[in-house]
Parts: sequence; structure tokens; C-alpha cells
Amino acid sequence: MDEARLVAHETTVAQARTEALVVEFQTKLSRYLRRMVGDAEVALDLTQEVFLSAYRMLKADPSRELNAGWLYRAATNGAISFIRRRKILRMLPLDREVDANSWRVDERSAASVDLQTALARLAPEQSAALLLTSYAGYTSSEAAAMLGTTSDAVRQRVCRAMRVLRSVMREGMER
Amino acid sequence: MISRGACVKAESLAGAIALGEAQENDREAYRNHLAGCERCVTALGGEREIERVMALVSAAREDERWEPDLRKLLARRRTPNRAWLWVGSAAAAVALIAGIRASGPRPATPPAHHVISAQEAHALAVLDTQTAARGEGRAESLVVGAATLSTAFEVSVDERGVPIRCKITKSSGDRTLDRNVCLTAMHVRYSPRAAQGR
Repeated sequence: MDEARLVAHETTVAQARTEALVVEFQTKLSRYLRRMVGDAEVALDLTQEVFLSAYRMLKADPSRELNAGWLYRAATNGAISFIRRRKILRMLPLDREVDANSWRVDERSAASVDLQTALARLAPEQSAALLLTSYAGYTSSEAAAMLGTTSDAVRQRVCRAMRVLRSVMREGMER
Repeated sequence: MISRGACVKAESLAGAIALGEAQENDREAYRNHLAGCERCVTALGGEREIERVMALVSAAREDERWEPDLRKLLARRRTPNRAWLWVGSAAAAVALIAGIRASGPRPATPPAHHVISAQEAHALAVLDTQTAARGEGRAESLVVGAATLSTAFEVSVDERGVPIRCKITKSSGDRTLDRNVCLTAMHVRYSPRAAQGR
């Protein structure tokens, strides 16, 4: 196989594998990212960036294994960078304000709104720990591998997130 | 006196309980800590309380209905210029002005024909508002108490009739109400041919 054909073959393989990843993970990742950043449009942009990175990586090395852990790690890093950038630039009137407009009416249950309100008050690392475990369904050790920390640290972050969630629920009951 | 380190350890145990990863000895250690630490009782609560709070996360996950299709989205985003050209050549984007009969070209399926779903109506109702379907070319006028709030908005659609964006051109003064009106407008499928006046 000459070089041009080899490159074309690798591109096709990378495209097919990225396509498979998109089909399997697009909903999970975009939901996770929307919870992280609180904005559907931004979540979609970040999700695309994750898959684009995956495509570039697979194109460079078609034999590379990209699993859910890699995708969530890339998504988390993208979300944390975005949140920090937004904080620095202060482009929005209220930092991480819950934008109900980006949520469908049928998703605006008390639970959904309370969770998003709590997430908006958390440090992104705490949000990521809570979402990767109780929302995306990974164990604390799997989440720890994605976040580059220990499972004990993940459990502590979940606990701190839970405290905030508890106070949000209490506020909701007092209203 | 309970040390700070013991409370940090208790946080880790509470996290394990929250995630359903705690063994019986973890639960027992947590209970023992709470028995001597009023601060953690107040801040974290007992096992039941932890499970109650975490049930909210599960409930929120169950409520999630958003299933974006990135491939369709990319296809839509690839044609923004064409979409805006189309909107421009149509002389006016699909414009709906509350309380005022729209003078521009109208879509074959104007939003006034869009029946507000029970869920959408509920979202508006919780604002203490009432909705009333108006005549063709009109959007909702929302009655809040004795006052009638009018919101003017403009919806831009692509060549397939899929709404791209909604912009409030005249606010009712109530941001939540404005958002709900736009949300409703974005859920309508428009007819681009009719909007071009054909």
C-alpha cells in the first residue's frame, strides 16, 4: 500500500471509529457537559470539541484505544477550562447563573432545577465528582482516574457537593 | 473534642454512603463519628438524610430528556450564511408581535396555531399568568393579575423551517416571561415557503 492510500485508509478508520464514539456517547457527554456549564449551546460546542480531539488522536494513531474514561476526562477538562475562562472574562452578568432558557420545559422539575442551582454554587471539580459518579454512574475510583485524583478525594468532593445540594433543597422548602 | 482530621474522614465516609459504596463497617464508623460530633450531624446529616439528598440527583437524571444529535447540529451549523441569506431575502424573518397583527409575510403554520402543550402551559401558569390563544399572526398575550404584558419577538428559521434563534425585540419587563415565550416559539416547526410569501 503506498503512502497516499495508507493515509486515506487511516483517515477512514479514524472517521469510522469517531462516528461510533459519537453514536454511543454524544447524549451522555452533552448531558454531562450541560450540567457542568449550565448552558446547552456551550455544552454542544464542548462536546464537539471532545469528539474532534478524539478524531485527531485516532487519525494520528488509529490503533489507540479511546474509552469512556478518556472522553469524560477530555470533557471535564474542557468544561473546567471554560468555567475558569468565563470567570476571568466575566462575560456573563452572573457567574454560572442557572439559565432556565436552555432547559426544556419538561425538564424543569424541582429536582432538575435544585441540582442545577447546587452545581452553579460548586467548584467545578466538585461538580465533576458529583456528576461523574451519581449522574453518569461511575464508581469513585473510576471517577478518580478520570479526574486524576484519589477515590477518597472524589468521595469528599461528593460529600461537599451533597452539603450544598442539601442547603438548596432546604431553601426550596422554605420558599 | 473531635479533631478536624476525623471530620475529613467522616466526609469521605459520607461520600461513600452517598455513592452506595459504603460497607457496613464504614456505616458504623460514620454513625460513631456522628454520635460525638454535633457539627457533622448538622452539616451532613445521618445516613437516611444522605440518601434522601442523593435521591434528588437520581430524580434529576430521570427527568433528563435532552438528546441532541451532533451530526444534525453540524449539518445545520454548516449552513448559517445560507440560512441568514434566506431570512434576509424573505424581506422579514418570521416575526410575531404580541398584541399587534403582524404586517409582514406569515408562515403557513404560524405560532398562533401552535397549541401550547400542557407542560408549556404549566411553565407559564407557575408564573401566575394565563395564556390566551390569539388570532393568526399574533403571539400570546399574557395576563398577569390585572395587567396585560406584551412581548414582541422574532424567530429566525433556516431553509427547512427549523428555528435557529429567538430574539426578544420588545421585552414585557418580565425576563422569565420573555424566556418562556421564546422557548415556546423555538418549539414550533415553521413553513419556510409560506414565510417567503409564496
